Amino acid sequence: MNCDDVREQLPDFWTGALDESARIGMQAHFAECSACRAEAETLSAIWQRLGAIPEERPSRTMRARFDATMEAYVQGLRQAARGPSTREKLDKWLAGWWPREPVFQFGFAVVFLGIGLLVGFALTQHSGSDGEVARLREEVGRTRQLVALSLLQQQSASERLKGVDWSYRLSNPNPQVLAALVHTVNYDQNVNVRLAALDALHPSATNEMVRESLVKSLEKQSSPLVQIALIDMLVEIREKEAANGLKQLAQEAGLNTEVRDRADWALKQLQ
Amino acid sequence: MKEVREGELASMAVLFERHHRPLFNYFVHMNGNRELSEDLVQDVFVRMMKYRNSYRPDKPFAAWMYQIARNAQNDAMQKRKYEVELGHADISSSHGMDDKLKHEQEIELLRQAMARLPLEKRELLVLSRFQNLKYEEIGAILGIEVGAVKVRVYRAVRELGQIFNELAGEKAS
Repeated sequence: MNCDDVREQLPDFWTGALDESARIGMQAHFAECSACRAEAETLSAIWQRLGAIPEERPSRTMRARFDATMEAYVQGLRQAARGPSTREKLDKWLAGWWPREPVFQFGFAVVFLGIGLLVGFALTQHSGSDGEVARLREEVGRTRQLVALSLLQQQSASERLKGVDWSYRLSNPNPQVLAALVHTVNYDQNVNVRLAALDALHPSATNEMVRESLVKSLEKQSSPLVQIALIDMLVEIREKEAANGLKQLAQEAGLNTEVRDRADWALKQLQ
Repeated sequence: MKEVREGELASMAVLFERHHRPLFNYFVHMNGNRELSEDLVQDVFVRMMKYRNSYRPDKPFAAWMYQIARNAQNDAMQKRKYEVELGHADISSSHGMDDKLKHEQEIELLRQAMARLPLEKRELLVLSRFQNLKYEEIGAILGIEVGAVKVRVYRAVRELGQIFNELAGEKAS
């Protein structure tokens, strides 16, 4: 037996699994090789000491926990063995009614859609809800006007722009809103808001008050952008009353040349 | 079907009585955490119930059980990244101490040395020395030849001895 053999057989020696002849061979090697003997003694001592490490004891609750765990596990198995619940059975029963052929599925869908439409139609016919809907619409319209008016009075230009935008949503703006828009065209500090308000007044150009106010607005405007937009709009709505105002504007000293040209052009258009 | 299941439950209770302590010790040596180890023991029995069909009666039961235990341990390690907590017993010079105290200190040093041993080597010693499994059974658990098990056990003991001597040297100085 050589040193390697000894190392291979030490684990069996520790567990007592080494047979007698191998034990004798090992002892004979130790008599010759002190290094192997010393190592075997050291390692065997470690192996022995390992056996002295006391066993760890689990807590007493472990058995109770095990029982509870197994109980829960078996309960789960029984539940599975008992088969599907009433709910699952009902689902299955309902699913049985549903045709497998796509053509029939489509047919069912069409029939149900038809029934739905008929029921809906019948209900709306007899509910007499037309009045309610009209009242609701009126209410919404009034709310929009309020929103537009309150936004037009905001400090921030972007909020006022939003107010102008809201006025577009009114199918028939009331005089209060129109007056507010005219006021905005005349006196708002921000050119963009003034331009937007001017545009917003366009759909209401048939209104006499609006037409009159637009003509009067000619002398109040100082920004060339707004002046040109206003002149264009007056031409578009064919407001002949604007001729005097346009003449005065064209003669104004220090007027922007483009505005002057535009006014001259407008005068020709309106003749 | 129901009777069979209840029979299984009873046999699981027998298995629990027989094996829960060795399993608990295996886990404590492997992860150093008692609470986690108790959870893992429960986990092993649930897994044994769940995968009872994978048990082959012609193979050693211990090999099957410890394979499950190893998987449970590995899963827990991956999930929780547990570090083995080393003991912090204050071991001073043994001059004038009686034999009992000296013995206790040695045990504590050995525990610490075990905790410092790489996981695979520690597992090998836990299975062979603490669980008293045969090298053949360990080979079946780890999926290696019995000769390879013996070589690894020898190396594990040698490394443990080195760590133990280092620790003893540190404490003596």
